[in-house]
Amino acid sequence: MSAPSQLRLRLRDLGAGAAFGSMAVSWQLPVWTVGLFAVALVCALAGRRLFAKRVKATSVLLLGVAGVLGLSVYVGQLDLVVAACSFAGLITAHRMLSTPDVRTDGQVQLTGLLMVAGGAALSGELTFAVFLVAFGIFSSLSMGLAVVEAAVPEGEPLPVRAVVRPLSVGLLFAVVGAAAFFILFPRLNWSMAGRRTGPGLGATTGLADTVRLGGAGTLKSNPRVVLRAHLTPDPGMEQLGAYWVARTYDTFDGQEWTSVGKPKRPHVRVTLRPGGERSVHQRIELLPAYGARTLVALETPTRLGNARAHQASRTLPATLLEIGGGEVRFMEGGIAYSYEATSLPPEEKASTQLTEAEHGQLLALPDRLDPRVAELARRVLGGEGEPLAAAYKLSAWLQREYAYTLELGGDVEDPLADFLFERKAGHCEHFATALTIMLRTQGFSARLSSGFFGGERSNEDYILRAGDAHAWTHVLVPERGFVTVDATPPGNRASQSIAALQFLTGLYEAIEGRWRTAVIDYSLRDQLEAAQSLIRPPRDPSRSSARLPPARTWGLALLVALLTYGTWRILSARVSTPRLHAATHFVDTVERLLREAGLRPREGETLEELTARLVREQHSLAEPLAPLTRRYLEARFGQRPLAPGEAERLLEPLRRYLEARRAASSEAGPRRQAS
Amino acid sequence: MKAGLQALWARLRVLLRPPRTLKVTRMGRTYLVVTFGVGLGALNTGNNLLYLMLGLLLAMVVVSGVLSERCLRHLSIRRLGTETAFAGEPFAFRWAITRRQGNAFALTLSELDSPLMGEGCVGYLRTGVEHVVRADLTAPHRGPLLLSGVRITTTWPLGLFAKTRVFDLDGTLLVYPRRGYACQLPGQALQGSFGDASTPRRNDGTGDIAGLRELGPTEDARRVHWRKSAAMGKLIKVEREREERRTYVLTVEPSLTGDALERRCEEVAALSHELLEAGNEVGLETSGERLRPAAGSVQERRILRALAWVGFEELREPEEEAAA
Repeated sequence: MSAPSQLRLRLRDLGAGAAFGSMAVSWQLPVWTVGLFAVALVCALAGRRLFAKRVKATSVLLLGVAGVLGLSVYVGQLDLVVAACSFAGLITAHRMLSTPDVRTDGQVQLTGLLMVAGGAALSGELTFAVFLVAFGIFSSLSMGLAVVEAAVPEGEPLPVRAVVRPLSVGLLFAVVGAAAFFILFPRLNWSMAGRRTGPGLGATTGLADTVRLGGAGTLKSNPRVVLRAHLTPDPGMEQLGAYWVARTYDTFDGQEWTSVGKPKRPHVRVTLRPGGERSVHQRIELLPAYGARTLVALETPTRLGNARAHQASRTLPATLLEIGGGEVRFMEGGIAYSYEATSLPPEEKASTQLTEAEHGQLLALPDRLDPRVAELARRVLGGEGEPLAAAYKLSAWLQREYAYTLELGGDVEDPLADFLFERKAGHCEHFATALTIMLRTQGFSARLSSGFFGGERSNEDYILRAGDAHAWTHVLVPERGFVTVDATPPGNRASQSIAALQFLTGLYEAIEGRWRTAVIDYSLRDQLEAAQSLIRPPRDPSRSSARLPPARTWGLALLVALLTYGTWRILSARVSTPRLHAATHFVDTVERLLREAGLRPREGETLEELTARLVREQHSLAEPLAPLTRRYLEARFGQRPLAPGEAERLLEPLRRYLEARRAASSEAGPRRQAS
Repeated sequence: MKAGLQALWARLRVLLRPPRTLKVTRMGRTYLVVTFGVGLGALNTGNNLLYLMLGLLLAMVVVSGVLSERCLRHLSIRRLGTETAFAGEPFAFRWAITRRQGNAFALTLSELDSPLMGEGCVGYLRTGVEHVVRADLTAPHRGPLLLSGVRITTTWPLGLFAKTRVFDLDGTLLVYPRRGYACQLPGQALQGSFGDASTPRRNDGTGDIAGLRELGPTEDARRVHWRKSAAMGKLIKVEREREERRTYVLTVEPSLTGDALERRCEEVAALSHELLEAGNEVGLETSGERLRPAAGSVQERRILRALAWVGFEELREPEEEAAA
């Protein structure tokens, strides 16, 4: 097989690989199908067509695999669409390993198309777009080369470079056309068989119903963006350094935190406490990396509502459910969520309505609490009776005496005692638990709160990363309500990830965010807004609506139009001017050399005729001129173009001859004069 | 009246002929079905990624049309034809194609509205270079074939659609009869004196030597040239002028029509070939033409040409006038 044919087959197989990748990024395909396809792809790229001689046997095998997939669907282990996508991938793998011919080529390309369509149904990830583009490039090039290869007579080379250039330009135009179609085609949704999908790659954070002490704090180094919020009024700070609360916990059993609150009735809007005049309004978007249904808002949240759940196929209004611990959850599942929230600023008084049970839990201690904890708290506080002062005192002591670490040994029997008396190092949950329990031992009401700490400026918004997940303490202060006290050392509260990684993930998240808003969530409303903005551009309020643009605008527009037209004319004339044939340049040089040597052809005499005449006359110039003339005729009319540098090589004898002749005549001149 | 109507119909067909014709290939059909399915899926689910994919698929169709159109522009073609074309036998036919601007890919050339089977292909046609395209064509019948144009088709760039452009180019291809097996004997050779001797049929070995060749299976061993045979290691026969050459006049009876005429033409073509190969002189009598006996390949060409025109005499005069 020739090298261009191998290249074409590799492009075909890579295209199929990209198509399979567009499905695989949904992480919904069975692992064994991914494995089988990967093996087939590697074999195909290595040129090993293992099924070339076993087509029938392997087809039976494929039927068996189809049966397994069908059975999985029947027993409910596998989704029908996922099974169909998996089978399309396996058919492609089978075809890739068969003998390459026109039929198998077509089958691989078409199953590739089906796989990309399957990928569109399974995944909304940005990586899908990458695989879609890769599939488009590889498959188009492969198909183009196949078309030309079929028309090239046997033995002639396949002009790969000449084929790739127009194909690439065509592909570029196709992408532009696809974008235009995407923007302009009206979104008419029948929704007869809408499909919902899970978050796919997205979730990294997750908020559990409990907080269990122990384990390594790997989340703190995760730089993925989980939340994007637009604040009004805008604080205008680069680093917000605020607490974003998700939920609170009031019961600690020595190992983990839970809460005793009961769920209330779902509502479209939830009011947690009365708001104030200085409330901060937040428009929040929970991104797929968040991976939970719990709403997050700046501390202290007062109202949450106007919520929407973004699913793979649609966006729908979401209802909210308030459950114990001040937690509010979405009722509907979705890949991402958006909602609005208002919060009181930290200095404002925040009253919280608690049930009797909840109130009682604020002083509850674990049954088997190490007696050293209470003793330690008493010793540190030294008789401090005011809750907030006691909390600050304990917090400062913890920050001073204990180290922050993410490297923990795993579960221990009494994690609090281990933190306070053995290891003397821990992460935010250890610090917050120690403060909360130590306060409770001294009769101060407190609870553990979890959510995020930080807020990094990104354009007009603030973003939170998975590594910003944090835990802190709420101390109940009479007449003020719950006040936040954070025992974790300040430098370790926010994300602990590497700066370069943060930048890269930030960039990726920004692109992914744009992808989601501009592509995944593009809707008829966006189309109408775009059309409206074209029809009615934003008005300057100082101008009257009836006024037309000023004359200078019209003049400028006319000038730009004329310049554009002129440039187009010049460029089109340049493009359409036929380029001179290389052989014509060659013959021009020959004729110029002959003219310089004083040899002029007769009127209407061509180079061919001149050479013939010189041969007849036995002219000494005939010898160097004849091969030039013959080569010119071959190059111009005989389909044997001049090779690079060949013209110069051919002209060399003629130049030498003419120089010798010139030298001889210059020598003869003085001799004649001397004689 | 009938000829006038036919001419009018032909003119009308030329007028109504679209500048390009488009045919969907097998792969293109499947591609369109997939596109339709993706479109339905997009409309049904409202999945924007399916809309994006649908846009890409449709855009590829448009790009495919534009690129194939660019391929078929700025082309000029001339018919180089063939040396000889026998009915039912593949023969080499050539066209010369040039592109004035830009490159062209994957072109397929064939004759328009003719029963000629086969096509020529060009993988890559560069600007300004005249490319000679060779095709092995097969003509099903003997006789003059009126060629009206050349059809150039391309499946560039993706092989989904075959776009065709027709170049009007009039011409005639004279197809000689198939040279099948001669089942009948050529008949009695003409009597009389030929050449310099008055007794041409007396095989007395006195004629001038015309040549030497290997002795055939049933040939007279008395003609073996023993000295040459010994030197060359095989039996060599002496051919003598006037003694072994016969003169035959083959006839195509005017009463024959249809298949019988075709069979006779093929038979005469085969017979004349055999006889002329053997060095005999062959003449031909048809309803419209009489060729005097002569030998050699030129005579064979004359005979084949005459046989090709048998039954098409009404076309011959205008054609030959035009050729003149």
